[in-house]
Amino acid sequence: MSQDPEKPDPPKDRREFFVTLGIGAGLAALGAQGLASLRSLVPNVSYDAPTTVKLGHPQEFPDGMKFLPDQRLYVFREGKVLHAISAVCTHLGCTVRAEALSQVETRTVEGSPLRLTHRFLCPCHGSKYSGDGENVAGPAPKPLAWYHLSIAVDDGQLVVDLARPVERNFRLTLA
Amino acid sequence: MALPPEAEKPNAPGVHPRPLWSLRPASDRQAGDAIVSNFIFHWFPAKALKDSLAWRYSLWLGTVSAALLLLLTLSGLPLLFLYVPSVERAYGSVKDIEFVITFGYWIRSVHRFAAHFMVAAVFLHLVRVYLSGAYKNGTGRGQHREWNWLLGIVMLLLTLFLSFTGYLLPWDQLAYWAVTVGTNIASAVPLVGPQIRELLLGGRNIEQATLIRFYVLHVIVLPGGLGVLFAYHMWRIRKDGGLAKADQAATLAAKVEVPPGQSKTYTLLGLARGTGPTIRASSVEAIDTTVNSIPDLTRRIAIVVLGTIAAMSILAVFVHSPLEEAANALVTPNPAKAPWYFLWLQEIVTDTTIKLGSFTVNGAFLGGVILPGLLVGLLAAWPWLDRSPLAAAGRWFPQSRRRQNAVFLLLVLAVLLLTFVGTFCRGPYWQLYWPWQPWVELPTRI
Repeated sequence: MSQDPEKPDPPKDRREFFVTLGIGAGLAALGAQGLASLRSLVPNVSYDAPTTVKLGHPQEFPDGMKFLPDQRLYVFREGKVLHAISAVCTHLGCTVRAEALSQVETRTVEGSPLRLTHRFLCPCHGSKYSGDGENVAGPAPKPLAWYHLSIAVDDGQLVVDLARPVERNFRLTLA
Repeated sequence: MALPPEAEKPNAPGVHPRPLWSLRPASDRQAGDAIVSNFIFHWFPAKALKDSLAWRYSLWLGTVSAALLLLLTLSGLPLLFLYVPSVERAYGSVKDIEFVITFGYWIRSVHRFAAHFMVAAVFLHLVRVYLSGAYKNGTGRGQHREWNWLLGIVMLLLTLFLSFTGYLLPWDQLAYWAVTVGTNIASAVPLVGPQIRELLLGGRNIEQATLIRFYVLHVIVLPGGLGVLFAYHMWRIRKDGGLAKADQAATLAAKVEVPPGQSKTYTLLGLARGTGPTIRASSVEAIDTTVNSIPDLTRRIAIVVLGTIAAMSILAVFVHSPLEEAANALVTPNPAKAPWYFLWLQEIVTDTTIKLGSFTVNGAFLGGVILPGLLVGLLAAWPWLDRSPLAAAGRWFPQSRRRQNAVFLLLVLAVLLLTFVGTFCRGPYWQLYWPWQPWVELPTRI
């Protein structure tokens, strides 16, 4: 392409302009199509199970511990007092198993007394938790979650809210 | 397939009067013609260095890997017709392949063994290339072997990801808990982690969307990418003037004077850019250091490829593939072990949760993201950090690379040791056991 020596920086001629425009438009279109394809893979609707789940009537929960595999949840009952601890390991999400302790121990956890009947062990990477969910050994970085329990107003069932972690002094006391 | 005499002399250079080629060429001319006129053979140089072909130099591990990739593609094809990527039917269809379909167990076993051996072969290939300094540029102009090293690392990662997506497909317990752990490692990445996990799973839980994603990655996206990179990997070898071993031959004084050929429409060893028809005759082309690719190179490739396929096919007859219980979101197996080539990672994420005062770094992040990332980053950057002399390229254990080879071998040894511990020394609740020590009896149900 010839250059005019009197103009050191000549304006682009029409052909060059359209070539640039064409290539630019092509790249922009490809980019947008790529982004659109990627965006289509991000779900807009969640078909996941609801996080608030009815667990059954309180009388179905005997004194001691009950494991609810579908919710990956341990529900503990002592007389009229209930609390629920998540079974999802805080390290990489495997389901921890409960092991009954030979000696039941009562400890004050966050100001409230708590009977520790079990401890929790993770089969994937060997994390260990005490009965209140505290991580005591292995790679687990934080304690097991405690979840909010309530009684459904309509039919009196026990309800857990898996999206609502609570402090470890949370108790649900039945009327 | 002997050619008639008139086929020996084409009318003009590059014009081939007959579309015939011979696996048993009677002359150099015929050997060269076979390379140029055959689609498959045109990958190869017309002549190959004897040293480059030596079994003990490259151990032919790249060819073994490529043969396994070919076998995986072939054995994957019938599985593609038989497998159903739905959470309700995936497990059943694999069970059918294993127990109902004629030869199904064998095809699945070939596929599985080829996958396991490919992970090993690609890894050993990397080890070989490192130890023999084959990622180093030698005497040729325009060489960029470091790019091929990078390509190789990406291909190793693709191989691992292919295996990962592959063992998810049966949707058994191994699959389900591997996805759980694997995607939780991804979600340990700061800031964008949970989004990455959601993108991988197609939701927040492991469901149908997850299976179809990993299926499409396994059968189209990853093999396609690996195929393209494989072709590029091969092309780069030619561009870089062959194996690093060839550079040593180029530095030798020519023992035999080689007159420049009259028509060189193809370069003999694909010697880098800037050469071409006026290629400098050196000992690379000397008669006593090179051989015609047909049949010397093709014969060895046939031995390696057919040998690999035969070994896998025979092994698969005798050893069946395992299939665990159907995926059960309710019960994590105890212990839940990844396949052997990921067990060193499982060991690392177990041991790297660090407490700094009240601040805790999850092992999932340190051991699952940072350490493997550093390892891959260091490997990728090594050709630019390596200061060993050019003469060390293409030599096993040269003096000048003793220290870096030792450090590299230590790292390899650490990975192997962790793999061993994960495979043989971990029992229920990931507790340490001696390999000969019986595991404690535990109730199978909670």
